[in-house]
Amino acid sequence: MNLNELAYIQIEGTQRNHDIVVYALSTCGFCKRALAYLEEKDIAYKYIYVDQLPIEKKNEIKAILRERFKENVAFPFAVIDDTAHLVGFIKPDWIRTLGLTEE
Amino acid sequence: MNQKTQEQTRLFSRMVAQKQGWELNPDESFYESLIEGLTTNFNRYGYYLCPCRDSEGSREADSKAICPCVWSKLDVPEFGNCYCALYLSKELLASGKEPVSIVDRRYEE
Repeated sequence: MNLNELAYIQIEGTQRNHDIVVYALSTCGFCKRALAYLEEKDIAYKYIYVDQLPIEKKNEIKAILRERFKENVAFPFAVIDDTAHLVGFIKPDWIRTLGLTEE
Repeated sequence: MNQKTQEQTRLFSRMVAQKQGWELNPDESFYESLIEGLTTNFNRYGYYLCPCRDSEGSREADSKAICPCVWSKLDVPEFGNCYCALYLSKELLASGKEPVSIVDRRYEE
């Protein structure tokens, strides 16, 4: 499976410094908070709710991410520019990785 | 399958908090998003799977992640909130600090 072929939802934003992909759960408060934070910062990104996919597909996505980033997959799981990743929504980590400034 | 309403899930969360001596997340929109998520999970899987964890495919495989998850008894005293931040310690609530996203212990065993 190719991760690029998944049915992501694209969110537009004026900040397009990074290519950001967020793997999230539709049921999770921190996932929603992470997505809302990106929108608040007017950052373009795409996301997918993996809990709404068939379990085989979800497990395949997790296996690919785990193999690529050598880390257990928890949500939200954000991939930045195909190289860096963020697990969970720890705001200072997101600010640092995305090169943002704290308000 | 038996279905739960969000009001039934709110009641469930209040009962868990009372039994464990915890508090519920005071951020109403965050709390409500978790209630919605827990209700969705119950109606999808048949049990209250933690809203911030994905299913491993069966009740048996998910048993430790069913709310209140087994790790919440460690996480609430140590970090002040459980993994999804539905439950807070009395101390964290009194401090006025916000609950934070913590590492999932599920894969640490």
